[in-house]
Amino acid sequence: MPSAVPTNNNEIITKFTNCRLVKGDELVEQDLWVSSATGKIVKSQEAFYGAHATPDVTVNLGGRIISPGLIDVQLNGAFGFNFSSIPEEPSSYGKTLRQVNKSIIQTGVTSYLPTLTTQPQEVYHNALPYLGPSGGLRIASDGAESLGAHCEGPFLSPTKNGIHPVECITPALNGFSDLEAMYGATNINPTLDPLSGTLQAPKIKKITAAPEIGAMMRTIPDITARGIVYSIGHTEASYEEASLAVASGATMITHLFNAMRPLHHRNPGVFGVLGIAESLPRPYFGIIADGIHLHPTSIKIAFNAHPEGFVLVTDAMHLVGLPDGVYEWNNGERILKRGSQLLLEGTEKIAGSSITLIECVSNFLNFSGATVPQALKAVTATPAAMLGLSGVKGSLESDADADLVVLEEQVDAMGKRSLKVDQVWKFGSKVFDRSQ
Amino acid sequence: MRLIIRDDPTQASSYIAKYIIDRIQAFNPTKEHPFVLGLPTGSSPVGIYKILVQKFKAGEISFENVVTFNMDEYIGIPREHPESYHTFMYKHFFSHVNVHPSNIHILNGNAPDLEAECVQYEAAIKAAGGIDLFLGGIGPDGHIAFNEPGSSLASRTRVKTLAYDTIIANSRFFDNDLEKVPKMALTVGVQTVLEAREVVIIITGAHKSLALKKCIEDGVNHMWTLSSLQLHPHPMIVVDEDATLELQVKTVKVIAPIPHIKIIPELTRNQYFKSIEAVASSQGFEQILPSKIRTGPRTTALNSTYSPSKPPTPATVKDEPSILSPQPVTSTLLAAPATEYPVRSHTPELVPDRMGSRIAAF
Repeated sequence: MPSAVPTNNNEIITKFTNCRLVKGDELVEQDLWVSSATGKIVKSQEAFYGAHATPDVTVNLGGRIISPGLIDVQLNGAFGFNFSSIPEEPSSYGKTLRQVNKSIIQTGVTSYLPTLTTQPQEVYHNALPYLGPSGGLRIASDGAESLGAHCEGPFLSPTKNGIHPVECITPALNGFSDLEAMYGATNINPTLDPLSGTLQAPKIKKITAAPEIGAMMRTIPDITARGIVYSIGHTEASYEEASLAVASGATMITHLFNAMRPLHHRNPGVFGVLGIAESLPRPYFGIIADGIHLHPTSIKIAFNAHPEGFVLVTDAMHLVGLPDGVYEWNNGERILKRGSQLLLEGTEKIAGSSITLIECVSNFLNFSGATVPQALKAVTATPAAMLGLSGVKGSLESDADADLVVLEEQVDAMGKRSLKVDQVWKFGSKVFDRSQ
Repeated sequence: MRLIIRDDPTQASSYIAKYIIDRIQAFNPTKEHPFVLGLPTGSSPVGIYKILVQKFKAGEISFENVVTFNMDEYIGIPREHPESYHTFMYKHFFSHVNVHPSNIHILNGNAPDLEAECVQYEAAIKAAGGIDLFLGGIGPDGHIAFNEPGSSLASRTRVKTLAYDTIIANSRFFDNDLEKVPKMALTVGVQTVLEAREVVIIITGAHKSLALKKCIEDGVNHMWTLSSLQLHPHPMIVVDEDATLELQVKTVKVIAPIPHIKIIPELTRNQYFKSIEAVASSQGFEQILPSKIRTGPRTTALNSTYSPSKPPTPATVKDEPSILSPQPVTSTLLAAPATEYPVRSHTPELVPDRMGSRIAAF
């Protein structure tokens, strides 16, 4: 006689004990329960008293740190795969991406924004359909989860292009319709899921653009209305223009200090919006703490100006993890990789970074003297808040997604602090263990 | 009554924790015959729970076959509220040890029928075979559980309105907002506690010294509900030095001057209890419970008349203790007719008669 199969018979509840949880600006000694069935952090007390649930597995972490899984909001590629590329066999893009996601998660990054640099239109049209939010099925073995694509370009200031090819940079003269044409209307607008009939978020989650170029300033509300974060970057904007962009809905600054006017005492430029004189909400801002893009003191000043908005990003290129040498780049240009430094060949232009996010956190610890939870907040709770995902990602509170990293804190003979990723958990299941 | 005095709260907590562990181990509980433990909330027991958790993690004790009953719970705040006693117990004890959630009993302050909840709670205690050891603390006014001054010493599990003083004292946990403080609670009664086979109370801190004095030096009084413990056959109170400050001076042989209370030249009564403890332990004599209560279930097979046609009776049966669930004197005083103990004959009525009538006639 057929009987109803219990839906949770494969549920494994794991209890972490003897661990320190990153909660706000503190490390809290507390147990943590996660469920592999819901993929979420369990309201343990409620499950204990209400459902008489007890953990199936208890993991003693010996005092190590549990942080929410790291979130990188600016990652251009990794392990040899450049998101801004069209492979010879275009359909292989998705397959390679899946492989790369399984590698990325081993660095502790459990969710990220795959970032497309300034590219010809066809690159966006080919790549964006693969880069939308990928966590819908909540499958741990899928690896790092895309929270949506980040389009850094092509609506940038041609004089603050960094290594973005000037010939691809273009102004959006007609407003939002230009964005739709560039990225593809199905990528920038919510789409109807044919199976469930529900609206799905756009493939794009974040757009970096120069507000002073073309009609971008008045287009900002069209972007944010679709749940897409508008980020100021690669810009010649004055303080006044940056303030107007914030008033129009900009909530983020892409790699603060880099590819924008420097802080001048008579016109503080984009950095000025971190002041609080204008009574505008202060935006979040990305910081590349690879020790090359920014002087450590600049990072410290930015952190102290607005710690709640401080987001560490890697801006890493697909070369992260590959050996030193010269690599092909756009349009015949080439990139020289020397250690963690990437330069456009024949120039002194920084060509992104090749650093992992946890290394950025360790750098920041040493640059600033910040506490471990403060530094981890910049890659967990703060980017999650920037993306409107507070309490879902970047959190160890009950009902948040059980994306976790187990970290070991090390101090070398020189007193240099660093964090090592020992384990990574995605949706309540272990996907990486350094000791295995 | 045993009064155990330790130098500081930590030592007092550690004495009790060790005592509970010894009791559970001597009892050797099984699934069918669990050890039934009554548990309190509050600041004093936190140290005890901490040590119990340490001992559990060190593998020295298992709570696998321990059934627990908590003393009380607020009415009308959610179970997951940070100040609920469910949360307290989870945070300090249950989440760290292996008490199975189905073995845990805490009064439900959100039950649709609170009266029925109380009746069920008493029934559940009975069904579990009665409480083997009730651990408790007291308030500065000598209350045990939420049996505040004036509670009947014959009370049982019931709905209780909180005293205004208690509401004010609790408001510090509820944003200092009297509106948010629960005004009522469910609590076991004094009688419920006294029916446990053994009661162990922790009292620490100078602010509870008056309560300690009232409860052990003065008479049984409903204004200091813990004083009812004087009527229990097997009570033990464990205190720190500070809690003994109000105890009276008594002419008892000096054992040693108390180092940190040099300003008091006389002897205090706690030295009397200390001397008793010293003598008792020198003789290898501790508070003795009837051996069957002490050791838990008898495990001999009782089904000697086993026949294949009948289902086998369980091999282990929880023995009735030799004293049937030790009867506090209140039960004999209050619940007539008392049948468990021989009732002493009343003083005869005064019958006025002439002296001459008693002289045998010549």
